[in-house]
Amino acid sequence: MKNKHIATLALAGSLASALAAVSATSAMAEDSKEKCYGIALKGQNDCAAGAGTTCAGTSKMDYQKNVFKLVPAGTCETIKTPEGHGSLTQGPAPV
Amino acid sequence: MQALKPSRLPARSGVGFKPEHFDAIIEAVQPLGFFEIHAENYMGKGGPPHARLSRLRQDYALSIHGVGLSIGSPEPLDEIHLDRLKALCDRYEPESFSEHLAWSSHEGTYYNDLLPLPYTEETLDRVVEHVDRVQERLGRRMLLENPATYLLFEESTIEETEFLALIARRTGCGLLLDVNNVFVSATNHRLDPAAYLDRFPLAAVGEIHLGGHAETTDDLGAPLLIDSHDRAVKDPVWALFETVIARRGPLPSLVEWDNDVPAWPVLLREAEAAETILSARYTPDAA
Amino acid sequence: MSRKPSATQSIGRFAAAVVGAPETVPPGLGAWNGGSVERRFGVYRNNVREGLIGALASRFPVTEKLVGRAFFSALAEAFLLSHPPRSPVLMEWGDALPAFIETFEPAATVPYLADVARLEAARSHAYHAADAAPVQPETLAALDSERLALVRLVSHPALAILRSPYPVLTIWERNTGDSEPAPLELGGGEDMLVTRPQMRVELRPLPPGAARFFEALEEGQSIGWAAEAAHAETPLFDLTLAFTLMIQSGAFSAVAEET
Repeated sequence: MKNKHIATLALAGSLASALAAVSATSAMAEDSKEKCYGIALKGQNDCAAGAGTTCAGTSKMDYQKNVFKLVPAGTCETIKTPEGHGSLTQGPAPV
Repeated sequence: MQALKPSRLPARSGVGFKPEHFDAIIEAVQPLGFFEIHAENYMGKGGPPHARLSRLRQDYALSIHGVGLSIGSPEPLDEIHLDRLKALCDRYEPESFSEHLAWSSHEGTYYNDLLPLPYTEETLDRVVEHVDRVQERLGRRMLLENPATYLLFEESTIEETEFLALIARRTGCGLLLDVNNVFVSATNHRLDPAAYLDRFPLAAVGEIHLGGHAETTDDLGAPLLIDSHDRAVKDPVWALFETVIARRGPLPSLVEWDNDVPAWPVLLREAEAAETILSARYTPDAA
Repeated sequence: MSRKPSATQSIGRFAAAVVGAPETVPPGLGAWNGGSVERRFGVYRNNVREGLIGALASRFPVTEKLVGRAFFSALAEAFLLSHPPRSPVLMEWGDALPAFIETFEPAATVPYLADVARLEAARSHAYHAADAAPVQPETLAALDSERLALVRLVSHPALAILRSPYPVLTIWERNTGDSEPAPLELGGGEDMLVTRPQMRVELRPLPPGAARFFEALEEGQSIGWAAEAAHAETPLFDLTLAFTLMIQSGAFSAVAEET
């Protein structure tokens, strides 16, 4: 009973502090167009829309052979993984 | 029975809307009659795609162009997808709805391409059923687009122009004449594009498409054109467009540029080139 | 009258071959010059393959950047053969890619890749999620402090909470945009919050325990229950900071009606 009372006080106090902190910084300048239409900032990668469908064909051909001989060769080369790192399934599953 | 809403885009030039052009578009009044979107890219619940489209809709006529209904499939129409199209049309009340003479789904898999069908009495009956169903569900007279094709089915017994004419006659639907597709298909099958247009039921046409194509060759080295929408409209396609407009008068005419999308002014110049051809045929009472 | 193959059969054969081995061309197709139709059929095959790989690449741009275009294309091709799209609404296709990456043996050297893909999937979900206004600070300020512990919140449609044993948000941020990322030594894991209070998707790193707090609220637990769960997970949990992030991020859209 006593614990619960303290918890209630702590909750209310924390929320009040958070509300005060947010109102002090709420004059955040936001680009209104971005706010209304989701226009990406310059240089920001915003492909979240997905390519979607097309009614056009393509003349680009880049057939891959020997899929399983492929080695990742992108910017992952800038990331150092400690030796012997386990597989992802060891971690808690996000989402 | 309720009357179907007609397709009623202005007889002017338009372009396919690309989100990257949104800023440039709303900065000024664009000399365009309408924008066209691919229906399937606006089937999310909310977010920026709908915010932008709603904003565009305030100022411009809208054409909703489906690319995934698979009207040319021998399988029954996807009623769930038809429901999505109905909801989208209810939300935006477009001036026009169009789809393709093609299939894109089979046994539950979606292939994301406009694939060809044989032209036979059997497929004709099927497509007619499908167009009837779409028009009934949407309460609209739809436009059906002629495809760009790369090969022929040996079992086909009906010419494409005749096939489209019969669909239009039996369903009352309009046609979307893609002039680039005419040129691409005619070249790929060594037909005369002008003769194709002579046989095409031009009276049923409610919209024109223009786009760029790529050039390659087939196994024997014969020209093989690809409907790639990744460059400017080519001269012979403009010439065919002029022929159609000379015969039919101004029609809603869309420039499609879907791959390697250029900066807005480049796309706008293409639309202005189309507008120039249309405006030569405007008559005082047609405006 | 000779029995001709029905359109169902010829379209079925076409469909199977268009995603089949490069040499397979279905029978019954021809060209005006009577030549082989391999290249002609190849146009359709290429359209399908490139179109679908392109759709995945634009939903998972950082995943692609991390492993490079060639590797991503091979990964995407393997994925599309085992998980082809079942609907023309491609913005939803690829939800299963992160789990697929975990089983894709050539990607084993990039153990964080699946979680980067999870973050990108959550971003695109948030992008297309239904519009909703975040719960207003005034609404929270007006809550009866005696009953605060029992209050439940309604998640904003765009909300996602991700927890990874890898610094996935840092990796994502460094690999977004056109410039070559600075070298990174893999440290500890990161929790992150995905929201879209207005029209822009926002990502925030979460301090210790906050992910548990938000997860509990998302599951429909009360604020008091969520705070206790977060405290139980780590004594480092900072409730004031968690409330601040909650309000700033727009993670919740309303106070739930009491039942």
